[in-house]
Amino acid sequence: MANYSHPEVLVETDWVKQNLGKPGIKLIEIDVDTKGYDAGHIPGAVGFNWQTQLQDQLRRDIISEEAFEKLLGDAGISPSDTVVLYGDNNNWFAAYGFWLFKIYGHKDVRLMNGGRVKWLNEPDKELTTERPKIVSTQYRASGPDLSLRVMLSEVLRAQPGKTCNLVDVRSPDEFTGKVIAPPGMTETAQRGGHIPGAKGIPWSTAVGPDGTFKSVDELRTIYVDQKGVDPKKETIAYCRIGERSSHTWFVLKYLLGLSNVRNYDGSWTEYGSIVAAPIEK
Amino acid sequence: MLPSEENPTPLVRLNRLNPHADFPLYAKLEWMNPFGSVKDRAAWALLRDLEERGELANGRGLVEPTSGNTGISLAAMARARGHRLLAVVPNKVPLEKKVLLKIAGADLEVISDELCPAPGLGDGSINLAKTHAKASAHKYAMPNQYENSKNVEAHYRTTGPEIWKQTEGKITHLFVSLGTCGTVTGTAKFLREKNPKIKIIAVQPTEGHDVPGLRNISQLGVSKLFDSSLVDDIIEVDFHLAYTRALDLCQNEGLLAGPSSGLILEGALEIVARDKSGFGVMIFPDNIFKYTSNMIKHIPGLGSGTQP
Repeated sequence: MANYSHPEVLVETDWVKQNLGKPGIKLIEIDVDTKGYDAGHIPGAVGFNWQTQLQDQLRRDIISEEAFEKLLGDAGISPSDTVVLYGDNNNWFAAYGFWLFKIYGHKDVRLMNGGRVKWLNEPDKELTTERPKIVSTQYRASGPDLSLRVMLSEVLRAQPGKTCNLVDVRSPDEFTGKVIAPPGMTETAQRGGHIPGAKGIPWSTAVGPDGTFKSVDELRTIYVDQKGVDPKKETIAYCRIGERSSHTWFVLKYLLGLSNVRNYDGSWTEYGSIVAAPIEK
Repeated sequence: MLPSEENPTPLVRLNRLNPHADFPLYAKLEWMNPFGSVKDRAAWALLRDLEERGELANGRGLVEPTSGNTGISLAAMARARGHRLLAVVPNKVPLEKKVLLKIAGADLEVISDELCPAPGLGDGSINLAKTHAKASAHKYAMPNQYENSKNVEAHYRTTGPEIWKQTEGKITHLFVSLGTCGTVTGTAKFLREKNPKIKIIAVQPTEGHDVPGLRNISQLGVSKLFDSSLVDDIIEVDFHLAYTRALDLCQNEGLLAGPSSGLILEGALEIVARDKSGFGVMIFPDNIFKYTSNMIKHIPGLGSGTQP
């Protein structure tokens, strides 16, 4: 598929259609607004709510290993299953889910290219309001692989440009500090701007007009040649709450095949509130 | 009740806000439509088309994404004819419009606003309405004002001929806003056939705006009805001016115009200053009554003194 470094983690909508209902292949829709799932989803797909099911509800964190195991067990998923993720908002939250699945060591997890909007707009693809019948499992996670995640202390120590690439995937207005968050968003920060040394490369740079990923050649031209992401260095992606950056993390790690890419899920809502942290506008 | 060439919505001249005597500006008061906005024209065409094609038989209802006006028109007309409408509404639509939708008889589904949409992918309310229409096709038909040519036809058949007749063919400039683009495409097509020299000016709010019903050019990918060959200029106006200009119209012209009309006026005044002479028609989509909460948000001081 388009010569991606890890083509096995991406499936097309046609592939999903051909494999609907096959044993060992499980579909999960991950939305920030689950009204979409409720109104209609791919037949057989389970729905996860990013806010209430993938986030720890007490402290600000990803869900614990135990919570992840319970979530997947209740969704009828086994560690040996092929899990295909898709979702709203151009797969941002599905990409976050992909990152979480990788942290907890799920071997075969894939993203459906183009997300729910692509499936929705293809005339031969069905949607249903019927919820799948689930036989729950005892899921056991392996991991966590925290090498995929960056915490604030490491971001503060990082030397963007020298020892690592720092990629800010938010919109230009967020990058320049004109706005702290897109209009209407509740999660915000105390200050606007970006982390000094970060390159502003909006997440949407990676996709075409239909929301599917650009070819590996286009991606390499954009990220490496034009924007100067050095493939030999470690790369950290961040956004506002860590979901858009999961999307770019996926692109850089699996499609372009950069060796060491990590997601800073604390992102601007954390960094932009730290007392005395350096900020550029 | 619906407007036509014989029974047009009023066209009135601005007397105080336009300083250029050689370039009169006329406002077409679309809030004089029976359900209060320009959207009556499209809503009626969309509804009749569904009925004629038998799409609303056996109790099948309608689902439509709307920032309010189309929904209010469509709900009122649909209920009057025995159908139900599910209106899918972005949360930033003002409360007045949401309540009006319910009063008009719509079932309401409000969704959280867009986070950071990519061009061309549609927005949340359109995609959710499409999801209902696809997953529950037995319950819902979707007129889809963003893609349905009946929306354009309605303006080609009514708005265009009304303006031509009311101005006795003197119109040189048409000023419109962009939403579904049915108004601009249908009206401009008719007027250009009558006089190819008429300039069509679209006025759009700045990105990240808060003017319900309108789209910045970056959001226009969702409309299949936009025809750039019919538009001479696209003027971008700071969206805050939509609110201050609406207030100007209310307080200085006796026109209780809404924010999209304010935006159009600001764009029109820019062109009047540039082109010096002409005969301009502005399509004012709706009046101010549905926007009091938005006005309070954008006009400092308007909310003060409203409590004892």
